[in-house]
Amino acid sequence: MAPEVHHLFHRPIADHSFSADRQTLAVTRDSAIELYQRSGNKYVLQDELKGHDKTVTGVDIAPNSGRIVTCAQDRNAYVWEPSPTGWTPTLVLLRLHRAATTVRWSPSETKFAAGSGARIIAVCHFEAEDNWWVSKHLKKPIRSTVTSVAWHPNSVLLAAGSADGHARVFSGFVKGVDERPAPGVWGERLPFGTVCGEYLNNSAGWVHGVSFSPSGDALAFVAHDSTVTVVYPSGPDQAPRAVISLTTQLLPFMSLVWKTEDEILAAGYDCEVYRLQGSESGWSLVGSFEQSGRPGMQAQPEESALNMFRQMDLRGKVKDDTQLKTVHQNTITMMRQYDGAPGALTKFSTSGVDGRVVVWSA
Amino acid sequence: MAAINWRTINIDALDPEASTNFDLASLSPPVAQVSASDVQNLAGQIRQLLRGGDTEGALRGALESAPYGSDERGKELHLATVIEILQSIRQSDMTPLLQRIYQSPGGSELLDVLMKYLYRGMAQATPLGSKTDSPQPTGFSQISGRGTAEGGGQAMSVLLSWHEKTVEIAGQGSIVRVMTDRRTV
Repeated sequence: MAPEVHHLFHRPIADHSFSADRQTLAVTRDSAIELYQRSGNKYVLQDELKGHDKTVTGVDIAPNSGRIVTCAQDRNAYVWEPSPTGWTPTLVLLRLHRAATTVRWSPSETKFAAGSGARIIAVCHFEAEDNWWVSKHLKKPIRSTVTSVAWHPNSVLLAAGSADGHARVFSGFVKGVDERPAPGVWGERLPFGTVCGEYLNNSAGWVHGVSFSPSGDALAFVAHDSTVTVVYPSGPDQAPRAVISLTTQLLPFMSLVWKTEDEILAAGYDCEVYRLQGSESGWSLVGSFEQSGRPGMQAQPEESALNMFRQMDLRGKVKDDTQLKTVHQNTITMMRQYDGAPGALTKFSTSGVDGRVVVWSA
Repeated sequence: MAAINWRTINIDALDPEASTNFDLASLSPPVAQVSASDVQNLAGQIRQLLRGGDTEGALRGALESAPYGSDERGKELHLATVIEILQSIRQSDMTPLLQRIYQSPGGSELLDVLMKYLYRGMAQATPLGSKTDSPQPTGFSQISGRGTAEGGGQAMSVLLSWHEKTVEIAGQGSIVRVMTDRRTV
């Protein structure tokens, strides 16, 4: 099936998020968040969330409650709740002194985590008594900007990729909010701030994206050294069973999603989505989602000689080569699950610097 | 108050937890210490291979034993060895040789190391020996002295053709890895 392309505007999109029914699409645009409503096969601008006064870097819609959390370079986060008169924002003081870079709801939707340039991850939960969002900090041993965060399906463990080249797994357990998690491969007792794993590639590129596998028993991350690394932990305080680092010939990936336990989709600076398959014994790149001869992407139509010489005269070139042969016309910066149960992804969405949001069949 | 431009205050100096206050070595994987004399011995062994006509073995050996943990002198010695090997391989043999290395286990990493040496070699090719080089106010450096310019040019052309062939096989990924890797050659 051909991908569904929504060209929203000519600005970079830092992050996008669909509501659970896929009728609403939230995208970041400068210091605002734009909400698009589905009508037919298009998304039409419906509302704008204004409140941040610097570039918005992250947006996430909670699938069940419908609440939207956003974070920006102004070091704050807002939780937006739907009300009869529109969206009401609640300011969350993250207590950061550098920009917030990314934000994600936990699967339980009672907490969210925001990464920042202050080498801190703020894990925030709502205190009903004080009617206030409280932020707890994960600090050690992060040595540089946190570029991405991802929650484990149990809502306790949190993976973070950082510009110091490490991907780490932390415990984000908050007493009174979370239930005690069952012991698993990442650890048994998990008080807040426990470092359950710390992984580094040999070529040590800064990490762009992290993601837990659908079961939560493996962690994958993509880094700026054009690698995809998959970690299979064996148990608490033990060396992982397998750490598979796949070096590619491509430009670095920015983001990734797991399709199943043995398939990862990744995209980045090559403006294409790639498919990787493998298991504990090894991973390999199997191909791209771009098809040659996609409608609308064919070779330039035959031009008249007059037109050709006019182009040569005006622009000093024969062919118009300003368009890439890929669906995205610039770097893909974010990939999201769109449809399908965890572990059986059927559709995913991508957004990038070219202002497009594209929905693909996995 | 108005006299202080607070934007110019270095706040990291006032913060005990600032990123400038920790050891950068923790950001990269540990490397083994290698002394310059070890590098020298190795260079001798590799030259032996080279004299015996086993250029592939020499190149492989040199790349596998890149002295990340060595001092500046050891690194320079090894660079000279690698460049000597590269210059002794004919243009027509480059692609098949690179292909064989790439397809062997761990080959992609060896080509990344080769790419590091190519860039290191290019960084060094011109200033070597030509003391008369002086950066002009325009930002360009002028090379005087015919001999050095031609020698440098020839070395550069060898490196450039290796670079082209390596990118063909290992892709742009290997260039990106040279830029991110903290283990320098």
